[in-house]
Amino acid sequence: MMNKERRAFIKQSGIGVLACLGAASGLIPAWSLEKTSLPAWDEKPVPGKIRWGMLIDTRKCIEGCQQCIAQCHHEHNVPDFSNSKEEIKWIWKSSYNKVFPTASQQFQSENITGQHYLALCNHCADSPCTRACPTEATFKRWDGIVAMDYHRCIGCRFCMAACPYGSRSFNWQDPRTGIKDPSTAYPTRELGVVEKCNFCSDRLVKGLLPACVEACPQKVMTFGDLNDPKSEIRTLLESNATMQRRPELGTRPSVFYIIQ
Amino acid sequence: MIVIGLTFVLSALLYLFLQEGNAEKTIEQPAQYVHHSVSVDSTRCIATKEFMRANHMRVLNEWRNSAVREGDRIYLASNGSKFEKSLNTCLECHKKNRLFCFNCHMYANVKPKCWNCHLSPMETP
Repeated sequence: MMNKERRAFIKQSGIGVLACLGAASGLIPAWSLEKTSLPAWDEKPVPGKIRWGMLIDTRKCIEGCQQCIAQCHHEHNVPDFSNSKEEIKWIWKSSYNKVFPTASQQFQSENITGQHYLALCNHCADSPCTRACPTEATFKRWDGIVAMDYHRCIGCRFCMAACPYGSRSFNWQDPRTGIKDPSTAYPTRELGVVEKCNFCSDRLVKGLLPACVEACPQKVMTFGDLNDPKSEIRTLLESNATMQRRPELGTRPSVFYIIQ
Repeated sequence: MIVIGLTFVLSALLYLFLQEGNAEKTIEQPAQYVHHSVSVDSTRCIATKEFMRANHMRVLNEWRNSAVREGDRIYLASNGSKFEKSLNTCLECHKKNRLFCFNCHMYANVKPKCWNCHLSPMETP
């Protein structure tokens, strides 16, 4: 049994401690809190200000044309192993039911379901791959691009399981052996890392458009800032009926398609 | 008494949080996305030979993280000149000696993984 005196003592000393804490925290002036130096922020980009996106007008895309794929894969040293199990792809063409597996195909015209559609990393606004990555090797950049830091990739392939679009490939063997026409503009990858489209962040930094956009003879792709209401891509998105790949998943892809 | 003590503590804590909130608000304003179009050269070294011998790996690590992750691509050297944070900035000059990296690394038995992906001075023409 606790006697009354002891109970009162504990109560009062408790109040005393609380009061002391309160007084101390009230007296701590603003300048003693850690400050962020403002000049350090001057030259750094602001997250969320830009969101790069792409609109693919599939009406103009020529069936069988591979120019964008060839140009992208050449510039980024993407190997070709001609073996679907070890295939590495940044941008590729696939059938309607593979690119839009949950879109309705009932009574659709053969022209639409029979065509092959361009697919690449969607650079989702809510990207599942960046959440799955245990080392933050893949991450959301300040400009909306889902980037890879190959230095950090441990090859666990969680991101490949997380990506609902199959946009990621794993290097099962040394990729340098599969590069026929190497480019000196971009590094290769190594055995045991995952790779994918980088939305040409290497070219954007030089002020160039993505390689696929530039290589396309039909100007199928429009690249621009989705956060800028005056950009070309936004005006096209407003004036056309467009769709995204598997929008029901809530990943909010940054790649849009005009089907017809 | 307890009530008074509690209200005092609560108000003090709130005051702290409010202060922090104010400090954060001021950060957002000056930050502007700047497209870097500064002239960047690689005709000079970014630091002294002695410093680079001891610290080149740290410099490259810091460059990689800030350039790739934060988009901060311009390195301001201590003498005020600007360099692009890229392995190629160094190699632009240093690749003239094809054994520039290898001589030292072989002597020190260091096996960096740079050339698993990046083109080494041995591989570039």
